[in-house]
Amino acid sequence: MVKTERLQAEEAEPAPGSAWLTGAAAWFVPGLGHLMQKRWWRAALMGGAVWLCFFVGMGMGGHLFDLAAEGSSPLLQVPPMIANLGTGALYLVSWLLDYGFKDDPAQAARATYEYGNTFLLIAGLLNYLTMLDAFDIAAGRKP
Amino acid sequence: MTLFAALASVVFGAMAKDTTQERLLYGLKVFAEFMVIGLVLGWILYFIP
Repeated sequence: MVKTERLQAEEAEPAPGSAWLTGAAAWFVPGLGHLMQKRWWRAALMGGAVWLCFFVGMGMGGHLFDLAAEGSSPLLQVPPMIANLGTGALYLVSWLLDYGFKDDPAQAARATYEYGNTFLLIAGLLNYLTMLDAFDIAAGRKP
Repeated sequence: MTLFAALASVVFGAMAKDTTQERLLYGLKVFAEFMVIGLVLGWILYFIP
């Protein structure tokens, strides 16, 4: 389907409720949106990349962001928090366990700290892409 | 950097294009771009104090 045809189809048919549910599931558990549609390889590749990215980031001592900021404006925390939030349940469980959120100088002194931060941010952003892909497939906008 | 490039290019490659071959080629292209740009930027920043 060429782009113009795809756009026309989108205008004509709103996304079904199941597509929104799939999108929400894809956000909450990385890879689940594709698993629900029996796209095993996509789920393994895209979801697996997000999970691996998150745990590598955690292993490197990365920091997760929330609105509680020490010494800086909470507004500055919002963009990285949005990126981190992309990992869905991974972020929420870490938040509930208070794991990865503390401003620990010893953790920040690790050579891999900034790399870890980057991996955690990218994990969330990649999962947003994965979520959109799952949504598009569920809505019939993508084969 | 290599791991980062690999993970990002897997997702980009899986999302884009229509056929498996196109996806694979696109993923490899994105991976190569990440690596080359990362190395070039690394060397440029090395000379900037």
